[in-house]
Amino acid sequence: MRRLKGLVVDWVLLTLFLLMVEFLALSFSGSRGPTGLLVTPEETLDLLHYGWCAALGLLVAIAWQSLRGVRRESPGHALIFGEETDEAIPWTHTLRGWFTALLIELTFLTGWLITEVQLFDFLTQFNKATDIVRGLVAENVFALFLRNAGEVPAQSADVLHQGLVLLVQTIFLAFMATAFAIPVAFAMSFFAARNLTRTTSLSRWMYTLVRAVMNITRSVEPLVWALIFISWVGIGPFAGVLALWVHSVAALVKLYSEQIESIDHGPVEAITATGASTLQVLRYGVVPQVIPPFLSFTIYRWDINVRMSTIIGFVGGGGIGYILKPRVDLGQWGEVGTLVILIALTVWAMDIISAKIRERIV
Amino acid sequence: MTTEAVRVEGVSKVFDPDIQALTDVSLTVEQGEFLVVIGLSGSGKSTLLRCINRLIDPTAGRIWLFGEEITAAEGARLRALRTQIGMIFQQFNLVRRHTVMSNVLSGGLGRASLFGSLLMRYPEEERRRAVAALERVGLGGRGGSRADRLSGGQQQRVAVARALMQQPKLILADEPVASLDPALRHSVMRHIESLNRDEGMTVVCTLHDVDLVQRYATRLVALRDGKLVYEGGPSDFDADTFRDIYGADAEPATDMLLGTEGATP
Repeated sequence: MRRLKGLVVDWVLLTLFLLMVEFLALSFSGSRGPTGLLVTPEETLDLLHYGWCAALGLLVAIAWQSLRGVRRESPGHALIFGEETDEAIPWTHTLRGWFTALLIELTFLTGWLITEVQLFDFLTQFNKATDIVRGLVAENVFALFLRNAGEVPAQSADVLHQGLVLLVQTIFLAFMATAFAIPVAFAMSFFAARNLTRTTSLSRWMYTLVRAVMNITRSVEPLVWALIFISWVGIGPFAGVLALWVHSVAALVKLYSEQIESIDHGPVEAITATGASTLQVLRYGVVPQVIPPFLSFTIYRWDINVRMSTIIGFVGGGGIGYILKPRVDLGQWGEVGTLVILIALTVWAMDIISAKIRERIV
Repeated sequence: MTTEAVRVEGVSKVFDPDIQALTDVSLTVEQGEFLVVIGLSGSGKSTLLRCINRLIDPTAGRIWLFGEEITAAEGARLRALRTQIGMIFQQFNLVRRHTVMSNVLSGGLGRASLFGSLLMRYPEEERRRAVAALERVGLGGRGGSRADRLSGGQQQRVAVARALMQQPKLILADEPVASLDPALRHSVMRHIESLNRDEGMTVVCTLHDVDLVQRYATRLVALRDGKLVYEGGPSDFDADTFRDIYGADAEPATDMLLGTEGATP
């Protein structure tokens, strides 16, 4: 069984290795697609021989598994069975070391091609973006210092006013989402902590269930949740609160439960030994140990929610994003800049405040 | 009415994966005894103690507590039996962020009302008892300090007060002085001895130091590799039996027989 696990690891690694080799070979040979043009990286991905690579990978993996000795051992074997020797052998002296190094190099090269990295454009074409940057920065910053108050266009003052009002909404939106998330995440985190859910089969089931639901919830972007809740409760800040709430619960359950898993087991033993019931053991043995980190995580989450709630408005979930989106679409960079600066100042302030509070309680 | 406090019959414990911590251990502890369990680290002493109050479930074998089989008890019955067993740990295991008072009060959780204890409210009588327990271990007036502000020796005395608060009939002490400064060992051991002599509690205690064994034990058992290898009185315990139990490798430990370690008053 363990040898099989090692074999699977080797198989996956070798298949990836072969696929990347083929991808790079195709890319650098400049092969042409059906249209006669040079193939793009995406088209190259379609041309790879996945089946053949997997088959060849399996063969090599089996062959490698049969090799023994530290210097020739396969990565999978070493990973599952651990090092077979005490002496420290530098990676350059093992087959596995060279293979791993090459795999990392290949991954980086493949990544470079697939994401179409263009270093030259990045370094030389800044002038194409100057309009936007000038709008974002210059029109706002210089307006403050260089122009007389009377010369500020009425439009800009209007955006500033609207922005400030919606900023208040944004902060409260984030606050309410966090506040609603705390009790739910707190209760659920105990079921999501491995060390508390080992005793009965019911609790093991709860662990698996809570973990699964939370992982799925967390992997759905808040923007998607916002769309769901906008249909549910209508356009407006409450939909945004719900979207951030769901996402915060999932994130906090993960952070909380990992904290619970890392507690000192001693007090739990001591309280259990007095004949206390499960709830009492949690109250005395677990809760006192996790309260400070929980507070810290929660404030950090509020901080994240403030940043996210600016985006939630893009789809109609309330907050400052609601007036930001149309201005981005229309390219009104001066007004976008005003709003972005407002958001930046808020996030900055939140960051300072939350850092100070966390410093105090931990 | 039986006079035995604990009866252990054929207890074995295997931890995942394949670590045999205890093998077929049988022993009886009479009421009022101060039984000391010795053995090397990893010989199964802590596991044996934790099997007695079911912090660890034995793989095989049965254990009786004052005539009732604790290995057959579950749920509320198990908790009720546990209230009769106080436990003292090497690492004190106090709730570090709570006050000393709250830690002592937690000894009475087994009889506290669920709702009150979750809100950390206790009846006046329990508070008085806790104050008395603290005074008893020489920490009167320290009830308001946070537990982790105290020194190691003081923290262990809080743990003794917590056990006293519990009013058990049996005390399990797992290396109670191993983490303490040698000079402080007797101060804690004397409090445990007082639980045994003045309160009539039976004590099962694991120890490392031979001078402590000879000073406090009324009877002695030894474990090696999870098996019971010695049973006898503290006076039968000499350098030869010590080597038998700890093996020839433990030669330097004979220094302890001369009492060079620990501050005997």
